[in-house]
Amino acid sequence: MQVAAATRAKRDASDAPFAGVGLRLPHLAEVAAGAPTAAWLEVHPENFLANPHARELLLEIARRHAVSLHTVGLSVGSVTGVDREHLKRIRQLVDDVDPILVSGHLAWSTHRGVYLNDLLPLPYNEETLRVVASHVHEVQDALGRPYVMENPASYVGFAASTLTETDFLTELVTRTGCQLLCDVSNAFLSAANMGYDAYAYIDAFPAHAIAEIHLGGFTREDDEATPGGEILIDTHAGAIAEPVWDLYAHSLRRFGPRPTLIEWDNDLPAFTRLLAEAERADAVAIAALDRGRSHAVAG
Amino acid sequence: MLSLADLQSRVARAMTTGEREPVAARLVGGVHPDKRLDIHLRHYAASLIAVLHDKFAACAWLAGPDLVSDAALAYVHAHPPAQPCIAEYGGDFPQFLASYGRAPTMPYVESFALLEWAVGQVSIAIDLPPLSWSDIARIGSERLIESALSLQPGLRYLRSAWGVDRLMTTYLSGTEPERFVLPESDTFIEVRGARGTVHLARLDGATFTFRRELVSGSSVGAAADRALELDSTFDPGEALRLLAHTGLVTTTTTQANAS
Repeated sequence: MQVAAATRAKRDASDAPFAGVGLRLPHLAEVAAGAPTAAWLEVHPENFLANPHARELLLEIARRHAVSLHTVGLSVGSVTGVDREHLKRIRQLVDDVDPILVSGHLAWSTHRGVYLNDLLPLPYNEETLRVVASHVHEVQDALGRPYVMENPASYVGFAASTLTETDFLTELVTRTGCQLLCDVSNAFLSAANMGYDAYAYIDAFPAHAIAEIHLGGFTREDDEATPGGEILIDTHAGAIAEPVWDLYAHSLRRFGPRPTLIEWDNDLPAFTRLLAEAERADAVAIAALDRGRSHAVAG
Repeated sequence: MLSLADLQSRVARAMTTGEREPVAARLVGGVHPDKRLDIHLRHYAASLIAVLHDKFAACAWLAGPDLVSDAALAYVHAHPPAQPCIAEYGGDFPQFLASYGRAPTMPYVESFALLEWAVGQVSIAIDLPPLSWSDIARIGSERLIESALSLQPGLRYLRSAWGVDRLMTTYLSGTEPERFVLPESDTFIEVRGARGTVHLARLDGATFTFRRELVSGSSVGAAADRALELDSTFDPGEALRLLAHTGLVTTTTTQANAS
């Protein structure tokens, strides 16, 4: 596994499953100064492109730790195209950091030179496939490496969709050779919001292409679209919910071990709290994979 | 069926104007799926207003959080971000704020907001290795006059009709004076920062002009001429020595090449 090899090369990680944590600006100096950290770290490159001090600290950290880059602004789903200037800046950071992975979202966030600061939903059909596949090719060509695409957190869909999300992702992998990031929390909350079975979604996810898993906290709110109902918002503002841990264990039994990341972006706690979530992810993974092996032996 | 281009145009317009267009019939999710789209519309405004509040916290302290929130809401619809790097967003918010609502009754707000933007910019800069005075002197006075100097990236120069630097120093100190008199006086402010630290200094008009001209790319000779127009006693040699001794000069560029 590419990530495992790179991570072990940078630090003596064991063969056990290992989780990383999202590294946000408030924790940057602490980690650069040598605070204990997780097996690997993931950053949003957009936070470093116009912040020379943060970039300096990130490069220091990247000399000692495995780092992945999780883009939030490349917008491969935009019909008006990928911002090539932004892509160049990302490429420069990739060259400087030498990340273990570069990932982004199955979404759109820019339109005619305007950045909408959100990950917006796409209809899943042939027209969208052509647009996204073309832009993923462009990104991969510019970065000189596979781009890792994340399944979105969904609140609304489109009647114009003719494919399920997992069928869309499977076809995208076939057309572009991209890899996938399975955000298990997104799978859970999208299933709850859109009324389908999260376990069936995981079972249909193209496991062979998965390079990474994400876990993040969500917030429950009243659903204005459904009187008396509730909706789950992907806020990354809290701990991983218990049912998501269960879905994570199921995912690992189906996918096998995958590098897993704890995302916590808002109401950020002490860095040690993130490490505790990463330790729990490791424990869940070990238990799930042991159980998977037991079942295999018993079978 | 809407094309992807048409769908994205409508959603983008709804987000940036705050006025939802009729795409509801094509949406899925809940009993009234159009309200699910509102989640994205709200997030656009709320997240960017939070960004502006964070960048202009001192303005909220000075002018009140409600004024800054209201101005920010209007700003995010009038001036949506052009770049995915949100650190670069809000550079023209000071001018927008100054003309918004009751802000014009506070004529110092624009200067104060420009100063706050500058403080934020220099605090994330890094210092580059400086040239020594002997490095600069080695160029020779004839060539030096025609040379341009690059100064540290964490430098900004602001001229204000108000002593907003004292006000900012008070804000940054975390103190809440019972009374603060903001003098109306021509003020020449140098903002210097790097790696999280910021220092505000008042300069005389000629030194301010000399340094600001250098930052804008003027040659040493041209910058000195502008300073001398303001103060005939200005000493360019001494001004250069001071720049070098405080570690502000990073490179020199002559007409022929760079050093």
